[in-house]
Amino acid sequence: MVFSYNWLKDYVGRLPEPEKTAELLTMHSFEVGEVKKTGADYALDIDVLPNRGPDCFSHFGIAREIAAITNSKLRPINIKQAVDAKIQTKDFVTVEVKDKKACPRYTAKVVADVKVGPSPKWLKDRLRVCGLNSINNIVDIANYVMLETGQPLHAFDGQKLAGNRIVVRFARNREKIVTLDEQKFDLDSSVLVIADAEKPVAIAGIKGGKLPEIDKKTKVVVLEAANFDGRVIRQGSKKLNLKTDASLRFEHGLDPNLTEMAVIRTAQLIQKIAGGKIARGSVDIYPKKVYPKRVKLDQKYLTSLLGKKILPKEINNILKRLGFVVRGSLVTVPTFRQDIFLPEDLIEEVVRIYGYDKIPSVFPIVSLAPSRRNLDIFWENKTKDIMKEFGFTEAYNYSFVSQGSDSAIELENPMSQEHKYLRENLISNLKKNVKFNKNNFKDIRLFEIGKVFSRPAVEESRLAGINLLGSFYDIKGIVEGLLNKLGISDIKYIENGRQSASVEVGQEKIGVIGENYFELNFDKVKKLASEEVLYRPISRYPSAVRDLAILVPRQTKVVQVLNKINIAGGKLVRDVDLFDIYQGEELPQGKKNLAFHIVYQSETRTLKSKEVDEIHQKIIKTLEKESTWQVRK
Amino acid sequence: MTLKTLKIEAEKAIKKAGDLKSLNDAFKKYLGKKGELTQILRSLEKMPKAKRVKVGREANMLKNSLRIKFDQKAGEFKEKAQREASDSEWIDVTAPGRRPILGHLHPLTQARRKTEEIFQAMGFSVVSGPEMETEWYNFDALNIPKDHPARDLWDTFYLKNKMLLRTHTTPVDVRYMEKKNPPLKIITIDRCFRHEATDASHETNFYQIDGLMVDRDISVANFKAMIQEFFQRFFEKPVKIRMRPGFFPFTEPSFEVDMVCLVCGGKGCSACQQTGWMEMLGAGMMHPNVFKNAGLNPKNWQGWVLAWGLTGWP
Repeated sequence: MVFSYNWLKDYVGRLPEPEKTAELLTMHSFEVGEVKKTGADYALDIDVLPNRGPDCFSHFGIAREIAAITNSKLRPINIKQAVDAKIQTKDFVTVEVKDKKACPRYTAKVVADVKVGPSPKWLKDRLRVCGLNSINNIVDIANYVMLETGQPLHAFDGQKLAGNRIVVRFARNREKIVTLDEQKFDLDSSVLVIADAEKPVAIAGIKGGKLPEIDKKTKVVVLEAANFDGRVIRQGSKKLNLKTDASLRFEHGLDPNLTEMAVIRTAQLIQKIAGGKIARGSVDIYPKKVYPKRVKLDQKYLTSLLGKKILPKEINNILKRLGFVVRGSLVTVPTFRQDIFLPEDLIEEVVRIYGYDKIPSVFPIVSLAPSRRNLDIFWENKTKDIMKEFGFTEAYNYSFVSQGSDSAIELENPMSQEHKYLRENLISNLKKNVKFNKNNFKDIRLFEIGKVFSRPAVEESRLAGINLLGSFYDIKGIVEGLLNKLGISDIKYIENGRQSASVEVGQEKIGVIGENYFELNFDKVKKLASEEVLYRPISRYPSAVRDLAILVPRQTKVVQVLNKINIAGGKLVRDVDLFDIYQGEELPQGKKNLAFHIVYQSETRTLKSKEVDEIHQKIIKTLEKESTWQVRK
Repeated sequence: MTLKTLKIEAEKAIKKAGDLKSLNDAFKKYLGKKGELTQILRSLEKMPKAKRVKVGREANMLKNSLRIKFDQKAGEFKEKAQREASDSEWIDVTAPGRRPILGHLHPLTQARRKTEEIFQAMGFSVVSGPEMETEWYNFDALNIPKDHPARDLWDTFYLKNKMLLRTHTTPVDVRYMEKKNPPLKIITIDRCFRHEATDASHETNFYQIDGLMVDRDISVANFKAMIQEFFQRFFEKPVKIRMRPGFFPFTEPSFEVDMVCLVCGGKGCSACQQTGWMEMLGAGMMHPNVFKNAGLNPKNWQGWVLAWGLTGWP
């Protein structure tokens, strides 16, 4: 929000130079972005913290901060008024508040016989620095007082209000309004309005209506300074998609005790600038008066929470400068500070004005507890390193995808149609990465670890990888190597359509392998992973190798042949290594040739050649029992 | 054949031999076991004595001279062969090597590991929580009530299953405190989501670090010391920080932490928008309401919370 430096000068005794003021505010209150020279003034762009809207969306509030920081005098806003004893506000207008929760206070005041015209230069200048356009003197003054006090005000032409009535109520369905800037809105019962005897004349707390607009002929000005419930205004603003300087302030909450002072200040300025007579009194509907709260501040707790002892005198002094009243340990919170409820809130007030720079750096004295090892992260890190060793590069893709299955979770408010669903797998985005990069790189190997989602509310961790130039067997090799390095054994690969297999451990499916990719349930992988490594010494006795080639039908699985070799060979078969699968034209149709090295070895003695040959023959005989298999000799 | 013609022929053959093999063949032909000169020498014993002495001397002289010539020529061939062999073994050491195919970890993973490592060294446990969250953990439990303007600070993706995508990792703190009693020191580094337009410093999917330390009397002063220590280890040099007021619904007091710009050293440059400072993170002392919402008695515990986006730093 933009503030005028010259304006702040009205209230602060010794206001530091603009840059210095900005620095002080940044370090003690709110960050100041830009300090921009604007004519004879400076515009300060102050990032008021959201909980400080109630008191600091105003020049006076910012001035109070600076005065507290610099320990200088704060000049109050002048609210002396010269009323015309002959006229009374209540003779011009009656007010009825239908919903007192939505509108805790409504204050109206009348200025009669005004002369509407252009604003004086000083007023125009100040509004312009703050980014507001000048309309006419009456509207400008209402805006000026809002920027000054934080209280939004609205001015109606009193003679245009049907029945001279103001009714605060929720709109009726199908009611309409045209606002001051000629926008048309369809209203419903969620929108609070200001109505006259007949129809809505303003959207409460958001924007005025065209009908009772102030124009050149306006003589009687009815001023509204109301307090509306922030939630109600927020709801209406969202419904109509309409945000204004007023709605912003109401949404952040305002002190109900502000209305009266603001309405008097406005009347006083109108009289000064546009002439006219201030009617006596006001119409003020304020059934539930808000009183200051009291919060207990414990010195010991303050010292403990900050890690720094601040003298009680200093604490009290800071709180007083900010408008608090301190009596012993009881602190009375002014009603304009709607953000203070707890001792912690008061401690923050003290420390920020005192200065965070004066808080020392002190290491805590705590019991020495070792950090817990997070196995999830351990296995994730290990897996990433293994994939990296295998030559794969890590990707981080969006969690969003453009298309989903029936079980996909859809977003209520996606950024775009491309990002309409939560991803159900990792591989589709990795495939996209490959497609996108294909023209620039020949060899692409990618992997990702991330979450996938499915209805109703399932979240699952996955690991996926893709190898552009790889085959099913290359990918299977990666999966085998990975699971082996993670200490997972007892793995089965079950055929699952063309060039595709599901990966099972025990009885549980943990993922799939496709023609050049794989995707595993990483939650399951992490559970199965084990750091236990079995070391077996190399046998001291020599091994003997015999080769075996066998012609089998193409559909015969390698694992079937392997099983038979292992069973027939017994424990002296140390290793069976498939070194070739061949299916070519020279072979009988529908056949393939499998070639194995079979390693025979004992851990207790040197095997005799004859012994090895006998076992090898036994294996061959067993294999040849299959009528369609043929061992090649 | 006379010794004279033999000499001429043999010398011719040696001269003609183009390689070691043909030289050996020639050697065999004249000096081998059945070679022509060998045969002459063998026939000596059948000759009369006077002729034997004369022919024998001439034949032996020829044998020796041919041997020398053969050896000389063979030496030339061997030398040449050696030279050729070393020619083929020669390599250009300045030509590029053949590299193995290398995989890479994402820079985010690297930053994540470095951060985790430093906090773990200070006794923090790394924890995690779900990306799909309830409104309770993402907002209400963190003292951000429904319909409160504070919720606008977190532009949120809502899901059709009534849940939302967490906008920060701080919900993990509440989940953790529900399960484990203080004292505790934890950090979470994980994916979060914000419904905002993507630019150089905003992403709809991003990574946030959340840290929490709770004990009997943890203070702002403790935070200051620990975060300074963290920065020095992360950036591997002495750093200067400052704290200024901030606002987070789940902390009180709340503060922002800036660090002297690493690019310009505080003089002001384009990286720090001429301020000399870089905004590093938001932090504060855990709000009593959050302790309550996590089932802890705020009278017994104090602690700091911090959070920053992993990609936000230089």
